[in-house]
Order: sequence, then C-alpha cells, then structure tokens
Amino acid sequence: MHGYIDTKPRPASNGTKANGALAAAPKVKIEIKDLRFYYKDFEALKGISLPLYDKRVTAFIGPSGCGKSTLLRVLNRIYELYPDQRATGEVLVDGRNILDPREDVNLLRARIGMVFQKPTPFPMSIYDNIAFGIRLYERLSRPELDERVESALRRAALWNEVKDKLRQSGLSLSGGQQQRLCIARAIALKPEVLLLDEPASALDPISTAKIEELINELKSDYCIVIVTHNMQQAARTADYTAFMYLGELIEFNETTVMFTHPNKKQTEDYITGRFG
Amino acid sequence: MQPVTRTIDTPQGAAKWTRRQGALDALFRGTTTFFALFVLFLLGAVILALVVGALPALRHFGFGFLTSDAWNPVTEEFGALAPIYGTLVTSAIAMAVGVPIAFGIAVFLTELCPPWLKRPFGIAIELLAGVPSIIYGIWGLFVFAPFLQSTLQPFLVDTLGELPVIGALFAGPPLGIGVLTAGLILGIMVLPFITAIIRDVFETVPAILRESAYGLGATTWEVVWKIVLPYTKLGVIGGIMLGLGRALGETMAVTFVIGNAHRISASLLAPGTTISAALANEFTEAVGDLYVSSLIALGLVLFAITFIVLAISKLLLTRLQKRAGS
Repeated sequence: MHGYIDTKPRPASNGTKANGALAAAPKVKIEIKDLRFYYKDFEALKGISLPLYDKRVTAFIGPSGCGKSTLLRVLNRIYELYPDQRATGEVLVDGRNILDPREDVNLLRARIGMVFQKPTPFPMSIYDNIAFGIRLYERLSRPELDERVESALRRAALWNEVKDKLRQSGLSLSGGQQQRLCIARAIALKPEVLLLDEPASALDPISTAKIEELINELKSDYCIVIVTHNMQQAARTADYTAFMYLGELIEFNETTVMFTHPNKKQTEDYITGRFG
Repeated sequence: MQPVTRTIDTPQGAAKWTRRQGALDALFRGTTTFFALFVLFLLGAVILALVVGALPALRHFGFGFLTSDAWNPVTEEFGALAPIYGTLVTSAIAMAVGVPIAFGIAVFLTELCPPWLKRPFGIAIELLAGVPSIIYGIWGLFVFAPFLQSTLQPFLVDTLGELPVIGALFAGPPLGIGVLTAGLILGIMVLPFITAIIRDVFETVPAILRESAYGLGATTWEVVWKIVLPYTKLGVIGGIMLGLGRALGETMAVTFVIGNAHRISASLLAPGTTISAALANEFTEAVGDLYVSSLIALGLVLFAITFIVLAISKLLLTRLQKRAGS
C-alpha cells in the first residue's frame, strides 16, 4: 500500500519544514518581472513584479476584475488559446523565461498544473481522467500506470471514495469529488507548480474544507498559487498573499503580516471589507 | 391620477375573463394538436400510396423483386437489386469521402482558424449547402467527370487496379461517369451539412474543459480526439446520419453522373444506378402497369432503407446515452 507521502526525489529544500518557521528565506520558484497583459488594447496587468516561493502557498486576492485570474493564466500560458490576448515582461521559472516563444508550451503545462473554478472532469472514466495526462508524456506498463493513478488519487484524498468505481464516468462524482479528481489529474503529471483558480468557489463548505486540507498537504511538495475571493480562505491556506487592484499589485507579504499589519490603506480597506 | 376600474376587478368580470381564457386555451391546444396529427396523417398517406402502388409488382415478383438484378422493360422483368446496390455503394463512398473531410474542416474552424477567417469560412460552407443539386449534376457531368476520366481514374486503374483482391474494384476503362464519380459528387454535396453540424456541436464544448486539457499539456490533436470528440459524439453521429440520409435520397446530381445502367459491376468505375436515379429517369417513359408499379416499389424500398438508417442511428444514440449516463 502506498502512503500519502510522495516518494519522488525532489531538489534539496532549504531545510525548513512546510509548517515550520517562515523566517528562513524560501527558494524562489517563479520570478515575475514587470509583467504586462493585454486583452486586445486593454491593459489588464500593469507591470507586476512578484516572487513565488517553492513549497509555499501564495494567494492572489482582490476584487473581481483586478487581474488575479489573468495573472494565474499567464503562468502556464493558457491565455495563448485566445488570439487577442498577449503578455509582455518576464516570468522566470527556475530562471528560465517561460514567455519566450521558443519555450515548448505543452511541456511547460505538464510542469505547471492548473485546476479551474468549476470542476472539469473529462467525459471518460475516473481512471482514464487521471491516466489521460500521464499517457500524453509517458509510456507506462499497465501496473505502473495503475500505481500512478492510485498514488495521484491518494494524494488528492479521493482514493477511498472511488477505488471501487474507477471504471465509472468521472461525471458521476459529486462536485467536491470532481474537483479533487481534477487536482489528482493535475498532480498525476508530477508537476512542479500547481495553479488553483478559485478551486473551491463552486463547492459546499465541507468540500471546501477538504480542498483546503489538501492544499496544506500538497504544499510540502509543490509551489502552489491560489486565486481566491474568500479572504478567510487566503488567511487559512496561504503563506504569502498578494493583494491586487485594477491590474496592479498593491501589496505582497507574508499572509500573517498582511492580515494583521497591512502596509497600505487600500489593503486594509479590502481585508476589513470596506470595499470590493 | 385617475382611478381605473378594470373588468376583472368585479366577480362577474373575473369569471367571464377566466371563461374566455379557457376557451382560447382550448382552441390553441386543438389547433396545434391538429397540425401535429396532420403530419402523421401525411406520413401514413404517403406510405399507403407507396404500398398500394407497389402491390402489383410485389405480387407479381414476390420476394424475388429484392434479389433479382434483372431490369428489362421489354420482357417486363424487374428486380431492385442493382439500384439498391448502387444506392448503398454510392452513399458509402460519399460517407467515406465526406466524413473525414468534414471532420477536418470542423476541427480547423473551431480549434485552429484565426478569428477573422472564421466568418468567411462559415458563410462559404453555408453557401455550398445552398447550391441546388442540379448545379452539382451539371458541374459533375461537364467538369468533374471528364476531369476524373483523365486524372484520378487512370491513376486508380494503374495502381490499385493492379492489386490482387481490391483490384476488381478499379478495373475496366475510365469512363468518367460511373458509381465512383456519383459517390464523390455525393460526398461533396453532404460535406457542408456534416461540417456545419460537427462545427456546431464542437462549439458546445465548454471553454473550461478545453482549457483543462490544454492545461495538462495536450496538443490540439489530443484535445480534439480525446476530449472534444467523446464529449460531442452524439451530435457528431447525428450529423453523419443526417448526411447519410441526404446521400441515400439524392437524385438529380447522381442521375447526371452515374450512367444509369441497371447492372451490378464489381468495378466502381463502371456505370450503375441508384433507386432515386432510376425513378427520375424512367417515370416519364414507363409504359405498362407492371413497369410503373415496379418503380413505385423501388420508391418503397428507398423509404424502407432511409427508415432503417434512421432507426439504427436512434438506437445507437440511445445506447450511447445510456452508457454516458451510467
């Protein structure tokens, strides 16, 4: 039986435990430099610069339309599916600029997993939903594939609920289960970064709690970025928080600092619910 | 402000109002029911007329009508096998040619096409669907058939025609007109219908589902083949069946290019006939009750084939739906 611990070798961490002191500077996984984003002529991101740390959860908060989802969608270049959208600036993942057109976008997306606001199970069985991404990149024997599927489902805390119905359609699961299926699907590829776009906004409180618990589990292995409308969720799950407003980064800090001693008036107003 | 007294504010007024509404409702229900039943009545009348008209021929030839390929107006020997064969083979060729191309066009339009090109392309396809079949017939006879005669057909005879088993399909002189040409024309004719439907159902796939697949690093092909197509398979099958229905019944263009020979040849290059082509060609010159009755019986057979195709597609769809639901 497989434990919940991923045995995949990881680059040496900086020594801090996931829940340990945040004071020791964590490793920067993604460095965003002067990122500007345009929908046709509309500038949706106005020069964002921001580090995202490895094995930490960073939350993007801000009122609707502030650009937090847009920022997330730049990180795996999913925006490129739409011809009127473009980005300038640099996004350095381990020092390499992924906005460089020469970067292979498919390999990039395999390294940077994404989970969307609404659960999006593919129209196939639960097993095939997980195996889909693995099969795109690896030729595995049946037992190896079975093992990968099982470990992904275990990591997403879904295995016990679906182990007897792996052949059933992914659409037959409940909303919360579907969302954990999508997370399992993303981590089955062994990505380095996990992007979560309001992953719990369509779910009930119990499912939300499970997803948040899962995020806490997963951050020991991944650089996690979460977009959320829910301030409590950011406070509960994130080590770092970025507050955005009208396409600009207003403030970025450790979550505890941000929520207790915000530097900017705007941040304080938003956090205390005075606008947005 | 003037006080307004409405009729329905008094008890009598309200009762009258209710009665009036009830009567209108009943009238409306009656009218729509009548229209709906009228369609059933028409369908029944058509079937009845076909059966009554076909009865003398069916009585005379019995079941042999379906299994005989004789068609001799002089000796009054009629059998439906050759036109049935022609109908099925030309439709099969049409599907074999039309479906992959339609799929390709739909994928291009929904996944790859730059937005400024989408509309012109869409309109062109709709125009193609609107071209009357007689135009395809004339074009087929004067342009397409001679073109095939000098290019594709000699090529097929020289290459595939030399192979041991399938060689028989491409044997004989390249005449230009024939079963293959008719099938290709049919393929071109059903192309816009199938394309339009596949494109429309492809566009029903939620953007977020596509994004999730692309987000795992899937290529366009992988997204289309493994996500979009399974998601839309019901609609795609429906579109193909609609195209098949059109191909089976298409008359004018086929009549122009198929050669109208009541015989079954192994070679696709040889002339043949289809049910609708035979009907269109021969009704005006049919003398004798048995001849006319045989033609009507052909019509009945076509009706039955179309019905069977429709029934099979419905069965297929319900089975798929059940599986998707489980």
